[in-house]
Amino acid sequence: MSSWLAEAAAVFAKDWRAELRTRFALNTLGLFAVTTLVVVSLALGPIGGSPNGPSVLSAVLWLILLFAATAGLPRLFVAEEETHTATALRLAATPSALFTGKLAYGLVLLLALEAITTPLYLAMVQLPVASPGLLVTVLAAGAVGLAAASTLVAVMVAQARARGTLFAVLLFPVLVPLLVMAVALTRQAVSGEPANVGLLPLVLYDASVIVAGLMLFPAMWNP
Amino acid sequence: MKTLLAWILWLWIALVIVGALWWAPPLPGFQAGPDSSRIVYFHVPMAWTSFVAFLAAGVFSALYLKRREPRRDAAATAAVQLGLAFGLLALVSGMIWAKIEWGEFWNFDPRQTTIVLALLFYTAYLVLRLAVADHETRRRLAAGYAVFGLVVAPFLFFVAPRVLGASLHPEPVINAERELKMDPAVLWVLLSGSAAFTALFFWMHSLQCRLAAIARRNGLEA
Repeated sequence: MSSWLAEAAAVFAKDWRAELRTRFALNTLGLFAVTTLVVVSLALGPIGGSPNGPSVLSAVLWLILLFAATAGLPRLFVAEEETHTATALRLAATPSALFTGKLAYGLVLLLALEAITTPLYLAMVQLPVASPGLLVTVLAAGAVGLAAASTLVAVMVAQARARGTLFAVLLFPVLVPLLVMAVALTRQAVSGEPANVGLLPLVLYDASVIVAGLMLFPAMWNP
Repeated sequence: MKTLLAWILWLWIALVIVGALWWAPPLPGFQAGPDSSRIVYFHVPMAWTSFVAFLAAGVFSALYLKRREPRRDAAATAAVQLGLAFGLLALVSGMIWAKIEWGEFWNFDPRQTTIVLALLFYTAYLVLRLAVADHETRRRLAAGYAVFGLVVAPFLFFVAPRVLGASLHPEPVINAERELKMDPAVLWVLLSGSAAFTALFFWMHSLQCRLAAIARRNGLEA
């Protein structure tokens, strides 16, 4: 167990070391998200205080996060195939530990992205937040599900052609339940009106995607 | 034997058509004329059959991942293709009915949303198959994706309706009060129609699987 954890931690550390040398994912994801939210705020104007503001803006926030993730997270495994390190990784790491390490890397990347994007977004569209605690919880829980589903889809896409577009096509239908719940809960956090879904289904979604990922990943990773 | 079964199926379907169009009474409570509601005798069985097909695709995919037999994967693919056909027919017939009865093709009905997402998911499944050149890799990845979809599906079925709100669809046959609020003739046609469409699906599925087996034997795998 401890060696399994050490393997997962080693994968996580390796990916972050490689990332901090180039800062490729951080820069592209961050810049993508910031560019999109500037475009959104220019297109919509300061509608945070209007009656429909919370509904529209919480949906748009999640769309920005989703597309930023789509732009960056396929790199998780595509990079391994492109640099021909996938075979060495297959020999070196237990599949489930590899999945966990990659998932943790993607999750930290998404959380960093949310930490930069969300305050900037809220300020630019002038959206007051009724319960910041709930907003942070929903963003974190959404990031977990987003990272887990992306990790599993990324390993499939890395072995296929037309990777960039295929990633979005495969990921979106799977993520719709998460998006529906996260948008409803974000609206609740922003406007204070209770949503007709709780936090529990979102956490259950995260848990089932992680368990499915751990079970399916070995078959998806090893040829 | 197989020919006999096929003839029984055709006779059964003919009986369902007669039952749906002439024997069963029109459903009460619809404004657009009593006979427009007869679309339900085809709409419900097709939706049910697409559900059965997608479930079968998930089971075949899980079996493929366990045993790695190419025929399991071919069975999953055939089930997905047929499920898409039945699902598309259910969606389109439902939209036409919604336009006639409620004035709009699209009502953000939870079941409409669910079936559209199911169609998107299984179309993505077929796109994934197209994007992988190697046979073994294609089977493995597609099977994994289908099983993944089966894990996510309950959230779509049980959570999305709560968030999206009211449905135009009636409660299922077995409802909370455990009583039947349906004319027995209507129920008979609906159930025998569902049985007929399900049998039709399995017949078409067995044909597809035999075709795929012949293609595999001759090295012509798609």
